[in-house]
Amino acid sequence: MKWSRYKNLDEIVEHDDAELDSLKKRIFFAALLILFFAAIIVGRLWFLQIYKGEEYRNRSENNRVRMREVAAPRGSIEDRMGREMVTNKPSFNVVLVREDSNDVDKLLKNIALALDLDISRLWDKLRDAEHKPKHLPIRLLEDVDWETLAYVENHNQEFPGIRIETIPARVYHYNNLAAHAIGYLGEISKKELANRNSEIYTGGDLIGKMGLERLREADLRGEKGSSSSEVNARGFEQQLLKNIEPLPGNTIQLTLDAELQKVAEDLMDAGDKAGAVVAMEVKTGRMLVLASNPVLPINQFVGGISHKNWNALLENPKHPLINKVVQAMYPPGSTYKMMTAIAGLSSGVITKDTVFYCPGHYYFGNRRYHCWKRGGHGAVDLKRAISESCDVYFYQVGLRAGVDKLAEIANMFGLGHKSGIEMEHEKSGLAPTKAWKKKNRKQKWQEGETLSVAIGQGFNLTTPLQICLMTAAIANGGKQYVPQVIEKVTNPEGKVVDQFEPIVASEFKDDNGYLKLIREGMEEVVQGRRGTARKVRIKGLTIGGKTGTAQVVRLKQYKHLKEEDIPYKFRDHAWFTCYAPAEDPEIAVTVLVEHGLHGGSSAGPVARAILAAYFEEPLRLAAEAKAAAEENKSE
Amino acid sequence: MPRIDRRLLYSFDWILLAILMGVCGMALMNLYSASYPPLPYGIPPYIKQCYLFLLGLASIVFILCFDYRELHFWNYPFYILIVLLLLFVLFAGNSAGGAQRWINLGLFKLQPSELAKLALVVTLASYYSRKEQPGGYGIRDMVTPVLLTLLPFLLILKQPDLGTALMLGIIFVSMTVFAKVRWQTYGLGLILCSAAGVFAWLYLLKEYQKRRIETLLNPAKDPMGQGYQILQSKIAVGSGEFSGKGYLEGTQGHLHFLPERHTDFAFAVWSEEMGFAGSVTFLSVYFCMLFWGLYAAMTARDRFGVFLSFGVVMLIFWQAVINLLMILGFLPVVGIPLPLVSYGGSSLLTTLFGLGILMNVRMRRFQVGQNADK
Repeated sequence: MKWSRYKNLDEIVEHDDAELDSLKKRIFFAALLILFFAAIIVGRLWFLQIYKGEEYRNRSENNRVRMREVAAPRGSIEDRMGREMVTNKPSFNVVLVREDSNDVDKLLKNIALALDLDISRLWDKLRDAEHKPKHLPIRLLEDVDWETLAYVENHNQEFPGIRIETIPARVYHYNNLAAHAIGYLGEISKKELANRNSEIYTGGDLIGKMGLERLREADLRGEKGSSSSEVNARGFEQQLLKNIEPLPGNTIQLTLDAELQKVAEDLMDAGDKAGAVVAMEVKTGRMLVLASNPVLPINQFVGGISHKNWNALLENPKHPLINKVVQAMYPPGSTYKMMTAIAGLSSGVITKDTVFYCPGHYYFGNRRYHCWKRGGHGAVDLKRAISESCDVYFYQVGLRAGVDKLAEIANMFGLGHKSGIEMEHEKSGLAPTKAWKKKNRKQKWQEGETLSVAIGQGFNLTTPLQICLMTAAIANGGKQYVPQVIEKVTNPEGKVVDQFEPIVASEFKDDNGYLKLIREGMEEVVQGRRGTARKVRIKGLTIGGKTGTAQVVRLKQYKHLKEEDIPYKFRDHAWFTCYAPAEDPEIAVTVLVEHGLHGGSSAGPVARAILAAYFEEPLRLAAEAKAAAEENKSE
Repeated sequence: MPRIDRRLLYSFDWILLAILMGVCGMALMNLYSASYPPLPYGIPPYIKQCYLFLLGLASIVFILCFDYRELHFWNYPFYILIVLLLLFVLFAGNSAGGAQRWINLGLFKLQPSELAKLALVVTLASYYSRKEQPGGYGIRDMVTPVLLTLLPFLLILKQPDLGTALMLGIIFVSMTVFAKVRWQTYGLGLILCSAAGVFAWLYLLKEYQKRRIETLLNPAKDPMGQGYQILQSKIAVGSGEFSGKGYLEGTQGHLHFLPERHTDFAFAVWSEEMGFAGSVTFLSVYFCMLFWGLYAAMTARDRFGVFLSFGVVMLIFWQAVINLLMILGFLPVVGIPLPLVSYGGSSLLTTLFGLGILMNVRMRRFQVGQNADK
C-alpha cells in the first residue's frame, strides 16, 4: 500500500545535525518567552486577587445584592370599645423597575394599551421618579383590582420590568366615620421628604396627611423592614439572603365611640345637615364624638385625589373640608347665657331670686333691643330666664356685670382660647373684652355691644368643641378638662406606651353653688313645662341643656319672610348643648347645625339620639328593675 | 500499513498524557460549575465536552498509528480541505452575531477556522523543515509561507473573526522567527505589516472591532459596553482573593454578571471559585504542559518533529496568553478561547489533535523503524 510520494519515509530525514542543533538551541528562547508571560499572568493574578482582592470582593457583593425596603404595616386605630376602625390589608400596585426593561418607552406603551390607561399619566409618574435609582420600583397604578392583578401576573413575560408590589393599605371599617379626626394617608411629597428624616422616609412612602394619621405619624408608621436578595445580571432575584421583618406601628385606641359617632354622623347626614356634633365625658375630658358634617369622603383620597373631586369638595357650600368641631367659629347664641348668668352671680349683681321684668324689649341708649319673644316673658328670675332664654333678663345682667367680667368667666369655661385638643388648626374663638376692641378695632367699647355679647351675639365666636367643654364644666362643677382623643397607645408587643390621664386645665371655684343654679335652669330647658328643648326629653333620663340660635346676618329684607323662604346661607345656625344625667352628669353633648334655624328642633334631636344611644343599656336595665319592683309590689 | 512497533509503545510519553488528563480534568470540573445550575433542557456543556474529549483521545490514538512524517504528504490535502471548508462557511455557514463561522455537525458546530490554525502549523512546519537555509530565510523564501498564511487569514478575516485571523498571523510570525530569517526580511516584513495595519484600520476593520481596541485603551469610556465585560471579569477574578469563593459558589459566574462564562471567560470562573491558590495551581499544570511540549521539540528526532512540536506549543501558548490577558483586563475582548478549558468542540479537538502530533513526535523520537539500524 502506498502511503506517500516517498517510497520510504527515511528519504526525508534530514541529515544536517548541526542545523538541527542550532534550531533546538532556539527553543530555549521560546521557553524564556513562555516564562515571561507566565510571570506577567501570575503577577496580574496576585494584583487582582491579593492586592485588590478585598475591593473586588466588595464590588462582587454589591453587584449581586439588592436591598429593598419592606413597608411596615401601619398601626391600627380602634375606638374606646376596641372596635377596629382603621386597619390594614394587602394592596397591590403595578410597578415599573426600569433596570429590568431595555425599552421603557415601548413597555409603557404596551402596558397602557393592555390595561387601558392614559399613557401621559404614566409618563408623569416616571418623570417624578427620574432621580430614583434604577432598580427601585416606580408605582404606575395603585391598589389595583384582582382582574388587573391576574392579568399582569399572567402576562409578565410580555412586560419585562413590570411587576406587582404588595404593600399594606388602609382599610376603613366604618368608611368615612370620624374622617376629620382620623385623617388620611397620601404619598409623601417632595417637600415633606426634604423636611423629614431621610433614614425613615423614602419617595413613594405613605404618610399621614391629616388628622391623627398625621399628628400620630410617629406612633403609627412602625419601622420598615428590608429584604436583601441576590440578583443576577438581568436583575432577577435568585434567592433571599437576609430578611428583616418590618415592625408594625403602634395601635391607637381612641376615646371616641364609633357607634355614637355613627349615630351622630348618620343623623346629620340623613337630615342633610352641615355642622358639628361633639360629645365628651364630663368628668374626664374623654371625647366620645367628634363629628363634622358633611363627612370627608376619605376613599377619594386613597392614591391621590383627582382635581375634579378636589374642586367639588372646595366648592361645596357645606364645606366638607373644614373640621367644624374645631376649625369653624360661630356666635354661641343663647348657649352663652349661662356664662352671663355666672358672671352676674359671681360679680354679685344678681342672686338667684333677682327678678327682671321682660316686656319683650329693652331700651338702652336710644335703641330698642328685642327679646326673641316679642310678647315678653313678664317677671323673670334666673331659672326661668335660662329655661325660657329671656334676652331682656340677660341684657340687664350683662350690662351690670360688664363685658370684661363676661369674658373672664367665659375664659374659665374654655371659651376664647384653644383647648389643646389633638386636632389640627384649632381656632381659639373670641370672648371679647374692651381691651381686645381697643387693640384690634382701634375703637372704644360701646356699652350697647355688651348687650349683644350677653346673649351670645356680637363679637362672640366659639367652636362647637368649646361649647361642649363649657357645658361639661358646668355639669362637673367647674373643672375645665383638656379634651383628649386617645385612650391608649399600644406597641406591637402589647405594651402600653401612652395611657389616658385626665388633665384639668383650669377650674372655676364654685364655692357658692352658682353652677347648681345654672344646672337647675338648664334642666328646666328640657324637663320644664315651658322649656325650649322639651322635644329632647328621654323617658327615665333627666337632661340639662340649652338651645341657641346664632344669627348669621341681620338683614331687614328677610325679617318678614317665613323661615323656609330665607336663602340657606342667611339662615341662623342652630345650637343645642346638654348634659345627662342631671343628677350626676356623665356626658355632655353639643350639636351645631349650620343654618339650622332653631336649636330645639334642628340640633336637639341629634343630641337626643346620642344620649339615647349612650344610655340605652342603663336605661333598659333601670326600666327592667322598675318593672320587676312594680311586679313585686303588686304581688 | 501503520507500523506499531512494540518498542514504540515503550517510548510513549505517559507524562504528557498525565499532564493532559490533569488539565482536562480541571477544565471539565470548571465547565460543570460554569454551566451550573444545569439548564432544564439539552445536553449540558460539560457532558458534550466530555464526549468531545473522548473523541479527541480516540483521535490521538489514531494519529499515533502513523509516523508523523506522513504529514509531509498529507499537509497539503489537509490544507486544501480546510480552505474549502472556510470557503464553505463563508457562503453557507451558520451565522451568529453577524459572523459566519460554523458548520453544524449535530454534536457540535465545526469551526473550520480552529482547524485552520493547526493546518497552518503543519504546513509551515513541513515547508521550513524541508527547506533548510543555514543563513536564514531570504525574502524570496518567504513568498510561499506568506501566501500559505494569507489565504486562510483573509478568509477568516472575511467571516469576520479578527481574533482567529490574528492568531494565524501570530503562528506564522512565531514559526518564521523560530526558523530564522535574515535581517532584511524582518525589515520588509515590518514595513508591510504596518502598511497593512493602517490600511486595515481605515478600510477593513468593522466598527465593533475598532471599538474593542478603543475600549482597551480607554475602558472608562463605556462602562456598560465592552468595558463592562472586562470589568465583570476583573471583579470575578479579584473577588476570588487567595482561596476563592469555593467550588460552585462563585457569584459572578452563576448570576450571569460574567459574560461568556463557559467559553472565553471560563478561567475567570475558576479564578473566582478557586482563588489565587487554585489559579496558580492550574496555571502551573498548564504551563508544565507547554514546557513539556518544548521538551518534545528538544528531543525530536528531526527538523520536522522540532517544527511540529514548536508550532503546536506556540498554537496553544499564544491562545492561552491572549485569553488570560483578556480575562485579566490587559487585552480587549477578541474571542480567543483558552485551549482545553473553554467550551467549544472545534477548539478542543484541534488542540487535542495538536497534542496528538506532539505525542507522536515524542513517541518516535528515537530512530525506530526499518532504517533504525542504518
